[in-house]
Amino acid sequence: MDWLDFFQSITDGLLFGSIYALIGIGFTLIFGVMHKINLAYGAASIAGAYVSIAVAAYVPLPALVTFLIAAIASGAIALLIYLANFRFIPLASPLATLMATVGMLILIDEVVVHATDGMPQPYPALFADIYIEWGDFGLRGDLIFIFVLSLIAMVVLMFMLYRTRLGIATRAVAQQPVAAQLAGISLDRTNALTFVITGLLGGLAGAMIGASVGVLSPLLVVPITVKGLIVCVIGGLGSIPGAIVAGLAVGAFENFFLAFRGVTERDMYVMLLLFVFLVFRPGGIFSRSVARD
Amino acid sequence: MLEIDGIAASYGNIQALRGVTLSVEEGGITCLLGPNGAGKTTLMMTIAGILKPRRGTISFLDRNITGMRPSGVVRRGIALVPENRLVFPHMNVHENLIAGAYLRLGKSKAQVRQDVDHVFARFPRLQERTKQLAGTLSGGEQQMLAVARALMARPRLLMMDEPSLGLAPLVVEEIFRIIRDLHADGTTIFLVEQNAHMALQVAHHFYLLEQGQVSFSGKPGQLSEHEVIQRAYLGKQQGRDQSATDRDQPDGTMLRSG
Repeated sequence: MDWLDFFQSITDGLLFGSIYALIGIGFTLIFGVMHKINLAYGAASIAGAYVSIAVAAYVPLPALVTFLIAAIASGAIALLIYLANFRFIPLASPLATLMATVGMLILIDEVVVHATDGMPQPYPALFADIYIEWGDFGLRGDLIFIFVLSLIAMVVLMFMLYRTRLGIATRAVAQQPVAAQLAGISLDRTNALTFVITGLLGGLAGAMIGASVGVLSPLLVVPITVKGLIVCVIGGLGSIPGAIVAGLAVGAFENFFLAFRGVTERDMYVMLLLFVFLVFRPGGIFSRSVARD
Repeated sequence: MLEIDGIAASYGNIQALRGVTLSVEEGGITCLLGPNGAGKTTLMMTIAGILKPRRGTISFLDRNITGMRPSGVVRRGIALVPENRLVFPHMNVHENLIAGAYLRLGKSKAQVRQDVDHVFARFPRLQERTKQLAGTLSGGEQQMLAVARALMARPRLLMMDEPSLGLAPLVVEEIFRIIRDLHADGTTIFLVEQNAHMALQVAHHFYLLEQGQVSFSGKPGQLSEHEVIQRAYLGKQQGRDQSATDRDQPDGTMLRSG
């Protein structure tokens, strides 16, 4: 392996890692606002992508619209998850909602398996025919597209969080729920909208995974859930900048070991990275406190 | 203005209020005194709509607001400055104020901006720290911010839960000066306090709350300060009890952080 292969694998990984960043943001945002983990989030993301190809099977759609449908479908599923697993379940019990979302993960997974007979479904790629070359070094068009789209999604999210009324509500509830209510902010509404926002991001991520892998399969659910949680822990629970950096880092790290050690060993090293962080930096990259005081 | 009739409510499993009846008159400063655990905070939270009462009614300006959601209570014109201030620690001072005006944000931006200016004129210390994160402010500044944030809701009745808690004597003086100013500007104030000495100086009317029930209602002159303090801190060994609770708090903190 020479330097060129090294840079090539890291670059591809960084670009693909933007998807992990989106998934990580979804986990971390829910954790930041509700101090809960929504384990069905990865399943909702993939299911949203499935809905988009189901729609595309009836009506021919431009690929970009397919992405949009995936986001909206996943947003709707996320709202359903909130209503079924959080809204009416006592939040004081930390295990109740966690187990409920495990159930939801399995349910969504099963619905997808039954609807598709477990067969992988092809997903339309965007800009896959573009390849930018500098000698032996090259950039895949579909990965650049994924990276740019993720970046746009993140900028929109940040704008929403820091420049809108909904963003004020979201941050207020995350930081001090009692005071938020005293200001007239509704916890239920803010929580539900936060779920919808994470769903939109997740659906986009699901569609991008489909587009870059070329197929959608129920087998994607567990790996992206695990990767999302790893990103969330490495970035620091509740930290969005942390999730972005950690997502890119995990993408680069995993792709490097894919090139260097092969697909069978790849995830081992990602787990090792998580282990290193849990031991030496349990608070995550930035160790920003999200505690309520 | 605010009529509370036979309110019973509980916080967790402890029944904290056992039929509380009191009223707050428009344009005055009403104080609620009582020992720890008497249910003062529970009453505030119940009026604000965070807790639902089990029995009884609350009416504000002749309209029943019992069991109304917090946003409805705020819209009717009641704002609560909560115990321990509860500022949004990772938001800066300006954002905290904006959050306080949450219900008006969509409709009247210019008005909110104007209110921010008014609040800053009242609290110049906050204006100097516009961009500072609220979590990094001193205790007194956080208390001012909590009051300022509540004012951003344009309340007709401002409720304050232990605004002097944990503050240095000079800062307490300043907080009470602010309370007098707010009252002079026409805001009705309902104040919960542990500091009976300061509270009796500003109150027009006060209530003693003991074990979830109102045990005294009257004007400051009607009960000697000595007796109020004794009853507000439970019994004659007030001095000793007080030092005991003072010692308890740091110990508890150490246990939690260790």
